[in-house]
This record gives sequence, C-alpha cells and structure tokens, in this order.
Amino acid sequence: MKLPAFRSFGATLWGIGLFLVVLGGTAPWIPAFLLTVLIQLLIFATLAYSMNLITGLTGYVSFGHVVFMAFGGYALAFGVGTLNLHPVAGVAFGAVVGLALALGIGLVTLRFRGVYFAIATLVVAVAALYIVLEIKELGDGQGIYLSLRFEPLSWFYTIWVILAIEVVLTYWITHGRIGYGIRSIKSDEDAAKTVGINAARVKLFLFALSGLFAGGAGGVYYWTLSGVFPYQAFDLIFSLQMLAMIVIGGMGTLLGPLIGAVAVYIPSYIFLTVLSGFQFIIIGIVVIVIALFVPEGIVGSLRKYIPELRGVLE
Amino acid sequence: MTRVLEVSDVHKYFGGVRAVQGVSLTVREGQVVGLIGPNGSGKSTLLNLIAGVEKPTKGAITLDGQRIDRWPAHRIVGQGIAKTHQIPKPFLAMTCRENVAVAVMFGNHKQRQSAKAFDEAGRVLALVGLERKADMMSSNLTVQERKRLEFARVLGTGARILLLDEIFAGLSPEELRAAIALFTKLQRETGFGAVVVEHVMRAVLTLSERVVVIEEGMKIAEGTANEVVEDPAVIEAYLGVEAARATP
Amino acid sequence: MADAALFVTDLALGLLLGCVFAVIAHGLNLIWGVAKVVNVAHGEFIMLGAYGAYFFNVWFGFNPLLSVPIDAAIGLGVGVIFYFFFLFRELRGKESMGPQSEMVTLVATFGLALVLINLAQALWTGNNVGIPWSPGVVQIGSVQLPLGGLYVAITSVAIIGLSHVFLSKTYLGNAIRAYSQDIPATQLVGINPTSTAAIGTALGFCITMAGGALLTVWLPTGIYPAMGNLYAPISFVIVVLGGPGKMWGSLVGGLTLGVIIDVGQLFVGGSIALATAIGFLILIPVLLFRPEGILR
Repeated sequence: MKLPAFRSFGATLWGIGLFLVVLGGTAPWIPAFLLTVLIQLLIFATLAYSMNLITGLTGYVSFGHVVFMAFGGYALAFGVGTLNLHPVAGVAFGAVVGLALALGIGLVTLRFRGVYFAIATLVVAVAALYIVLEIKELGDGQGIYLSLRFEPLSWFYTIWVILAIEVVLTYWITHGRIGYGIRSIKSDEDAAKTVGINAARVKLFLFALSGLFAGGAGGVYYWTLSGVFPYQAFDLIFSLQMLAMIVIGGMGTLLGPLIGAVAVYIPSYIFLTVLSGFQFIIIGIVVIVIALFVPEGIVGSLRKYIPELRGVLE
Repeated sequence: MTRVLEVSDVHKYFGGVRAVQGVSLTVREGQVVGLIGPNGSGKSTLLNLIAGVEKPTKGAITLDGQRIDRWPAHRIVGQGIAKTHQIPKPFLAMTCRENVAVAVMFGNHKQRQSAKAFDEAGRVLALVGLERKADMMSSNLTVQERKRLEFARVLGTGARILLLDEIFAGLSPEELRAAIALFTKLQRETGFGAVVVEHVMRAVLTLSERVVVIEEGMKIAEGTANEVVEDPAVIEAYLGVEAARATP
Repeated sequence: MADAALFVTDLALGLLLGCVFAVIAHGLNLIWGVAKVVNVAHGEFIMLGAYGAYFFNVWFGFNPLLSVPIDAAIGLGVGVIFYFFFLFRELRGKESMGPQSEMVTLVATFGLALVLINLAQALWTGNNVGIPWSPGVVQIGSVQLPLGGLYVAITSVAIIGLSHVFLSKTYLGNAIRAYSQDIPATQLVGINPTSTAAIGTALGFCITMAGGALLTVWLPTGIYPAMGNLYAPISFVIVVLGGPGKMWGSLVGGLTLGVIIDVGQLFVGGSIALATAIGFLILIPVLLFRPEGILR
C-alpha cells in the first residue's frame, strides 16, 4: 500500500537532531559572548515550538503565551530565592507551573473559538500582570532580583535539553494516531467530534504541553537575567514574537519554528546594538507580508513550490 | 446483543423557536427507520440531538437503557452511533483515505495502529465506490462524492446505528437506484441500524422498515411505509405540500 | 456615611470613565460588526488618535475636544487605507469569514501593531507625554466631578448616538447594517459590498481615533507608544460584554467596565490593579454563559 506523503522517514528530525548534537558537542569551546547569543536563540526556539504546539497545530491563535513564560520566570525566582532550589530545579519548577497554568487557563479558554480564544488569552495575560503586581511573595510589584552566577554552560545545556525534548515530542505527536486527530481538528473541529475525536482533550493536552515548555523556557530566560520584573516579564511583545516566529517559519511544521527563531532573533540581535525597536518594525512588516501573501511561511512555501522537498522537509 | 436506541419525548428550543417538541422513536440494530417531514420540520435537529451535537432541552435519549443525551458527541460515536452531515464536511486538507482512517482510529473501532487503520479505510472506500479517489485530496471531490465520503466515514467509525442526513439528495433516478441497492446490500451484510432523514420519498419508502413523520417538530404519524403514505394527516401535511409542488 | 459618599463619587467617576471607554470600543465594535474582523492593532489607532490630540495641542494650542473632529477626519482616511490593504483580499467575493481568513487578519493586524508601536517609539520616543488641560471641577451635591471628564462623557455619548442615527436613518447606514447581516442579500438589492464595507470600516477608525483624542483628557501624562497594550484589551472586553455588532452594546459594556474598575477598588482594598484585573477577567464568565453579550 502506498504510504501517505505525510509519513516521511524523518529527515527533518534527523537534521534538527544533527544541528543540536553539533551545537551541544562544541558548546564548551564556543566563546562566551557567542554562547550567550546561542542560548538566547535556543530560548527563542523553545518558545517558538511551544507556540507551534497550540497555534501551529490547531490554528488557535494564542496572544497570551507570555503568561507561561513570565510565570516560569517567577517560579524560578521564587524557587531559587525563597525555597533555595538549585536553578535547574527552579527551571523544572517553572515548567510545572507553566503546565498547571496552561491546564487551568486552557480548560476555560479553549471552549472559545477563533477570535474569542485569541481575545480571552490576551485578556488573561493582561489581568495576570495586574494580579502579580499585588502578590507580596512575588516581589510586591517590584519584581524579584536574584544574584545568580554567570554560568553560560549550565544555561546552555538546560535549554538545549528542553528544546531537544520538545522537538522530539512535537515529531512524536504529529506522526502518530493523535497527529491525525490534531489535523482533523485544525481542518474542521465539528466534523472531528462527529468521527469520535475528543477535541477538547486533544486541545487541552497540546495547550498544557505548550505551557510546560514556555514555562521552562521562561525559567531559563530569567535565570540568565538573574531576576524577573513584572512589566518586562508580562510585556505582550513576547507573545507577539512567538507568533511572529511560527508565522515566518511555517505554522504547524517541524522545522518552521527553528527557522522562524533564527529569522526573528538574529536580526533582533544585530539591530539591538544599532537602533532599539527598529528590528520590530521590520519583523512587523515581514509578518504582515507573510500573513497576507504567503500564509504557509518559509517551510510551507518550500514544500508547496518544490515538490521534491515534500518527502524530506516537514 | 442488539443495540437499541430510544428517543423519548425529546424537545429542543432555540430561544423562542421550538424546533423539536416531544418526538419519540426507537431504532434497533439491523432496522432502518425513515424520518420524513417538510423543510424545517426539525429532522436534522433531531439527528443532531441523537448524535450529541446539540443537547435536548427536555426529554431522554437512551442507548440500551443508558442515558446518552448529556454525552459529548465524540463519546456517542465511541458507543457506535455516528452521523453524516447534511452539508458534507470532509477534512479538506487530507486525502479521502486519511479522512476515513481518522474515523477508523477514533470511532467505535479505536484502531491504534495507523497501518491497519489505513487498510480498513481502503476497504471502506471500496465499499462506497471511492477506491479510485482514495489518495486524492478530499477538497477535489464533487458534492456527490463528498456525500459518499461522509457515508464512508460513518462506516469507518464502525457505527452500529447510523444517522444519515439526506445522503440520497440530488441523485438522478439511475444513480438513486444504484445507491439504494448499494445501501441495502451493505445493510444486509453488516446488519447496522439506521435513521434515514430524506426528502426523496422513494428512497425512504423502499429502504425503511418503519417510517416516522414529523411536522413542526411534532410526530404526526408512525408506521410501515404503506401505512404512513395512506395516513390522512401525512397526506395533508407532507404529501399535500409535495404534490402541490410537483404540479405547478 | 463617608463610605456611601465615596461609593457615589466612585460610581460617578466610573460612569464618566465608562463613557470614554465606550467610545474607543465603539470603533472596534463597528469594524467587528461590519467586516467581521477583529483588528488586533486597534489599540495602536487609539494611540495615534491620542498623539494626534497631543500634537494639535503642541502646535496650535487646541484642547483635546477641538482635536476630536480632526482626528475623526484622519481616521476616515486611515480606515479606507486599512480596509483595502488588510481586509479587501480576505473579504472579496466571500459570504462570510472562514477560520483561515480570520487567522490571517488576526496575524496581519498584529504585525501592524508591532510596526505602529515601534514606529511611534522611533519617532516620538518612549517617554510619556500629556496635554495640560483641566477646565476645573463641578460640584453636584456631595460629589466633585472633573469638568473635563464630564465634557468628554457628553461628547462620547453624542458620538455613539450620532453613529446610531447614521446607521439606522440614512441610506448608507442601512446599507452598512444590511452588509453586516447578510452579504449575498446585500448584493441582490444592488448595494456595492466593497464600498459599503470600506465605509463601515472607515467609520470604525474615525470613531476609534476620535476616542483616542477624548481619552487624553483622562491621561494627564499617559500618552506613550505602547499605550494600546492596555486600551486594546479594554476595548475587546467591552465589545464582548455588550455583544459584537450591537451598537448600544459598546455603551453598556463601557459603563459596566468603568464602574467595575472604579467601584471595584472599594471592594479589593483600594487596589486599582486588582480592580482592573477583575474588570478584564469578567470577560470569561460572560463568554461562557452569555456569549452573545449582556444585552439581549
């Protein structure tokens, strides 16, 4: 029987795996300043894959993902500052908090579709900031300052492991039975229910995973910053960047979020030193153009226009 | 054990609109029940209530004595009741085979191995005569082919009671004869039960062991095909309208 | 007794604030109702309206109320451009918005938000500015109210009322309402869908930018490039509270939110942050239990 085109032999997964192995193997010899750039890149990639899990795979646009990242950071700060955890344990705590929050928020907001879901997540993110401002244990509106050591290799390997797990999980989810369920939901949620798919549970599962990884990425991010401050942590620009990365890279693809992270982060890094804010104007224009004219993103377009790539690239 | 689906005194109100007002009917595995009535009489709503797509305002729906009227749609499919959509809703981004395979994986069968699900999907597609389009994207199908795909998807779920919403509409007389023959053959072989909502009188009268007639959300007659067509209330409410339409 | 007086004052302030909230949400409501599109960059057009009022004050000494008609006129033009750039391709020849188009417009307008915020930051710096205009206070019984806020509230209600008259009494307004309900039927009766939708969208932007000018009266130092991040969610909540596409919904939703935020403080220990959070989160139960909004 002819296998459907969707089932490739996983060349993309091996490609990403090779990229990560090379990075991981050479990390101890990479100069510190370059390593910090790579760490940021991997954090951004982890966030992009996190957004991809819900928005890319199901089409539910979340504007509130910054919440998971911010609470991941707060969990790290609370765990390390108050509970005296090791930072790596703090990151794990952040991931768990992200997961728990996503379960709670998802249980309610995933009942809404389309713009209503987008608005509900946005509103929850804005409200979360105002609530955190009032919590004494979370710095009473002033944020939490930690005095953690500069240890780029620990940061690097922590986020490296998180990203590797996330990519493999994404592959595993999209290539099994549940992958077909997810594609059905994205295609027509009502019809999916009438062939027996528990759409609510599948969406909640994806949203919770998404929260887990965003929380973990947030933990590492604020570990590198050695502190977390409310107005910066809950800045919606993080949600928007996550969305920009998967829109540019290609929603729902395996390689897209990584490409998107490189495309968004590297220019940000270069322009940051030249003219602050300028990079976002360019990213914004690119997002508008891609959304209106090439909604498949980079990876989707390559697959569409170069048929030879379809079996390899996903 | 043969499954028995019982709908008793079910009501559905949409705001002030009373779409279904106290309809009861019973379907057993192996039995085909026709459901007819004029446009807007609540036929499709009733099917949606059984399939769990809508929840009844009042009344009970039971399967083998167990209440299922508050269950979500996917759970009802898991118990062997599946519905086609009046306007076909294929998963446009998938091939026909994938469309049916999804139903095999998540429906009543819960086939966890993709390869087996794809084999089964191919078999079901052959049954409805779509084997040559199996690996075509479902977005390329014509409306009639999409209806067949809907039917294949329902069969793919392994349902024991099928809820079929106007699957014979829009066929030419020859196509209709072929479709009815195919349906009868499949029904004999697999022994499923079905509620068939149809405008095409001939299809309903040939296929159905019993026929239920509803008008304005209320049941006005029930019986064998012959009994129903001779019922004065039915002639008045349904056939009268149809007859008046047929002769301009 | 002191508590009762405080309550009345907060209620009155909440209602005044609610009026201006209503008008900024009204612009969004029109675009949502007519074009079936949620403009994620809505907050940025409020920001542009506010900066408009600020610069008219700096250059010509206009007070914010005088800037309202100028902002409104600019908004009309901006709305037409927006329609043809962002919505025309997605709406053309369609009877309704599919999920794909919905996602495209959500993402594209969010890109626009990113551009506008950072462009504003590059041009006008990220510093807060404000318009020094305070016409004094008025004493009504035991309650002291800012006169500026009162003028703004009256203007806001007038704008919403006028838009209602326009939509229900004029030919063009009726065409827009018809378009928002049933696009194919609109074409059948000979209305050009493209120009109707463009005018409806333009009207929404006109009111949004006018609302931005009115808002400045409440913001003595609160005009800054990212201010939309606060006022866009406020507008979203109001429209959902009142019910998308319901023209009086903006007013009802705005007043509700204004009162929740101002009176709510009294119940959460005077914390405006918590009151604001409650005001936002009220959206969730409304969506769950009354998805069509609190208005019937």
